[in-house]
Amino acid sequence: MHSHSPAGLNRRALLQAGLAGASGLGLLPGALQQALAASAARHPERILVVLELSGGNDGLNTLVPYGDDAYYRQRPRLGIKPAQLRRIDQHHGFNPGMAGFERLYKDGRMAVVHGCGYAQPSFSHFTSMAYWHTAMPNSGEEHGWMGRLADAIDPQNSAEYLVNIDETQSLAVRARKHLPLTFDDPRRFTRKGLFEQRSVLDAAPDAQLGSNASLGFMRDVAQSARDSSTRVREAWARYKTPVDYGIVALDLPKIAALIHAGLPTRLYYSAYRHNAFDTHVQQAEQHQRLLSYASDAVSGFMADLERIGKARDVTLLVFSEFGRRVAENTSLGTDHGTANHMYVIGQPVRGGHYGALPSLTALDASDNLIHTTDFRRVYATLIDGWLGGDAAAVLRGQFAPFAMFG
Amino acid sequence: MKCLLMLRLAGALLAVTALAASAAPDGQDDLRPISAAQWTPAAAAHLLQRAGFGGLPNEITALAALSPQQAVHQLVRWQAVPEDFVAFDESGLHDPGLEPFPASRPATTNAAKRDGQALGVANKPGGNRRLQPVTNTFFYWLRASKLETQRLAQWWAQRMLVTPRPLQEKMALFWHGHFATSEDKVRDYRKLLRQNMLFRDKGNGRFRELLIGVAQDPAMLAFLDAGVNVKGAPNENFAREIMEMFTLGEGHYSEADIREAARAFTGWNAKGLVFAIDPARHDDGIKRVLGREGALTGIDVIDTLLAQPAAAEHIAGRLYQYFVRQDLSPALRRELAAVLRNSGYDIAVLLETIFLSRDFHAPASVATRIRPPVELVVATYRLAGLTQIPGVPDFNAVTESLGQKLFYPPTVAGWAQGRSWITPGLLFARSNFAYDLVYPDINFIPPDRAPTSEFKINELGDKLAQGLDVTSATRLDGMELNSTSMQLADRDEEFNTRLASYRGWQMAIERVKPVPRTLARLQLGPLVQADGAKTASQAVDALLRRFVVVSVAPATRARLVAFLERELGTTDLQAARSYLDEPLRQTLHLILALPEYQLG
Repeated sequence: MHSHSPAGLNRRALLQAGLAGASGLGLLPGALQQALAASAARHPERILVVLELSGGNDGLNTLVPYGDDAYYRQRPRLGIKPAQLRRIDQHHGFNPGMAGFERLYKDGRMAVVHGCGYAQPSFSHFTSMAYWHTAMPNSGEEHGWMGRLADAIDPQNSAEYLVNIDETQSLAVRARKHLPLTFDDPRRFTRKGLFEQRSVLDAAPDAQLGSNASLGFMRDVAQSARDSSTRVREAWARYKTPVDYGIVALDLPKIAALIHAGLPTRLYYSAYRHNAFDTHVQQAEQHQRLLSYASDAVSGFMADLERIGKARDVTLLVFSEFGRRVAENTSLGTDHGTANHMYVIGQPVRGGHYGALPSLTALDASDNLIHTTDFRRVYATLIDGWLGGDAAAVLRGQFAPFAMFG
Repeated sequence: MKCLLMLRLAGALLAVTALAASAAPDGQDDLRPISAAQWTPAAAAHLLQRAGFGGLPNEITALAALSPQQAVHQLVRWQAVPEDFVAFDESGLHDPGLEPFPASRPATTNAAKRDGQALGVANKPGGNRRLQPVTNTFFYWLRASKLETQRLAQWWAQRMLVTPRPLQEKMALFWHGHFATSEDKVRDYRKLLRQNMLFRDKGNGRFRELLIGVAQDPAMLAFLDAGVNVKGAPNENFAREIMEMFTLGEGHYSEADIREAARAFTGWNAKGLVFAIDPARHDDGIKRVLGREGALTGIDVIDTLLAQPAAAEHIAGRLYQYFVRQDLSPALRRELAAVLRNSGYDIAVLLETIFLSRDFHAPASVATRIRPPVELVVATYRLAGLTQIPGVPDFNAVTESLGQKLFYPPTVAGWAQGRSWITPGLLFARSNFAYDLVYPDINFIPPDRAPTSEFKINELGDKLAQGLDVTSATRLDGMELNSTSMQLADRDEEFNTRLASYRGWQMAIERVKPVPRTLARLQLGPLVQADGAKTASQAVDALLRRFVVVSVAPATRARLVAFLERELGTTDLQAARSYLDEPLRQTLHLILALPEYQLG
């Protein structure tokens, strides 16, 4: 296996270190960085929302490098013609379904970070996603980066600091101290019960000597559920929006509702679920549809934030666990790949391109893109530049942030 | 002195025979069988909890009367247990014109434009919306298959509830998660039914047979894109998952192994519901997979995978974690793998070893498992004395709200087990299921009769009936439409997608047999009285004994007793016998809402 050979590894590691070191763009003077952190601490209203596109979104057909002939050589049938694209400059154009992303980019509210990935990439959805969730590839780390971030910047362990909207809890929010508030449907985030039953239903769970660990865990979750139920449900009941989020709104209207209601949440995590972006076969129409849903939902969310006067307080990160292989496969689809774009979106964001474009011709041994940006640099940017935390401590390593804020 | 020395020697010998794992004094990690003395009614209840869907008092007594070997044998070797199998009652929805079903609505309408027909339905030669009938039929089958899959899930749940072979259904459930296949992509309930029968038939047999069955199973072939895995153009999807999920686990194969293995499976596909290898599409060249080289066939690849040490460890570990504990030491994993390998991958042998082991009955293993939603719901109905899955609350809606909808595993990895089943939202959902059981919603709208979740679909029917033209009727009012997706839905004049979605629902609901919407007929008074309860506190104890395997804190119990006494207005059940049922229902709801009830 070439991709596992030590020689290949070293070369890539060197390349990566060289890039990180040489990138003057990303390295802010220490004083400026400190000032940013201090200003963030003065702005406890700042919120980070993460949207995961699960399944491995095909980045090359999302933001198409139409200026590069290699793209059309590698994708003779799946390549999207320049005329069909929503061109944003001389080199790149968004997928035709992504009017929302095009608008956000042109309004200067979207940072596109190129070539994001990590060394020795995994092609397993679950393993790679775990690496992105923990921000610690190949480590077996059991807590997520959002969870560690909450523990670091909110040592008081505030309730509802970290919210995860999904059926099940994401590894990204698993924390040592914080108990993420995880729910799917805010209407149902309540416990049914008769008036006479309330005192028993709402009683704090009794601690029990010698009880097993599963029970202890469940008691903690029960406590958190009890404390937040009313606030979440009322936030949703009071929220009405005229904004069009498109056919698949994802969980973004729920997040808008909670922000609108003034919940103390600073970290929200949600996903386009169920490996939706895993487009191995006949992908063109399906992928465009998925992208238009995601793009509609995101731009709807941004418009809604504007409407409720919160656009200045919120930054959204969009990512996927990997991109897809450069060459199309023979089933008119694409297989699991490596480096991909990350998108940082919002009024506070300094829009534009960040990071070096990965080469479409100098590929790795498995014909995949060689990443140019460690994805944790983007996490570091959000932690340091937006939320005012200590990225090195949370990410357990130095990752140069980009000058994306301020 | 001498005597003590002898004892020590004997102890040392025992420790050696206890295989590699260092067995804790309480039996943890010890795979030797439990002694007859350890086989108590509580142990039998634990076995029925894990190897079945909870034990009724009489079932526990009957099982405890056997030897542990007999008890385990009876559960694991279920073929010997007579049963009255009621086959799934199909609605009869499919017709040959639907095959092969296109990948998407655009694929369907494009084919119709090209060929003048699709799905066995001709384009109208003239007039308005010439492709509307084709488009309606496309949505018809999607909706019909989805509704029939819900009936299929309900039928399976009924099997779980009444079967005399509980482990057969539980193994089918395990394999459904292991070989996760979703109707979302398969879009053909008939294939899922066949896969379900395969799990039922081969669930305790040789793993190799099961694996081959799955690799050749029409649902799996559709789910992992077999149709496009052809000579000269291999598709890696199945080859990757058979290694990563089904046999080895990540880290035990290379990307090159996947690419080569994919070639061996080229040409494997189902024609309708029958597996066939298309020789013209099969690549019979030389491949190299995990060190083995030759003109490998798919079967050769399967045998190569099973010859890897990682395979037995992966499969045995998955089974153990499902049935016993999430945390599994590497040493115990190796031991379990050896049992599986030495038996020639005989699943029944491994299950017997696990269920008989001291480890299975050790404190760390008992009452520590977070019960998966489907098991929780079925067990609750069983223990409440029901013999029919209620129609209200809807079985699929309940289990979905709890995080596990049959035939819709979230990803190819199936359902994450253990603590993943519990979040604040999911814990509420468990409590609300209990409420809906004791107070079924009489305003319930059957989801198989009214597509309430579909965006604005019910308004469309009203507008059409008022004589609005299709374009006006399907326009979405009250919204400022900026999104691409909303605008795209309607641009073709040959058909209207929203109308097709609506007509598709109509056609499907017309044809799919209804789910009987019977309410759970609980009779809790006789239930607790049969257990000998005469007072309110005895009734609470009877319910706790019957439903909860963890002992609850004294303060919790005291609150429950106080509640029941207050609602009865007396401590004496006899005095309250004419109105006993509702207070008992309320108490049961409170018990099932406890965190303790979620463990088994």
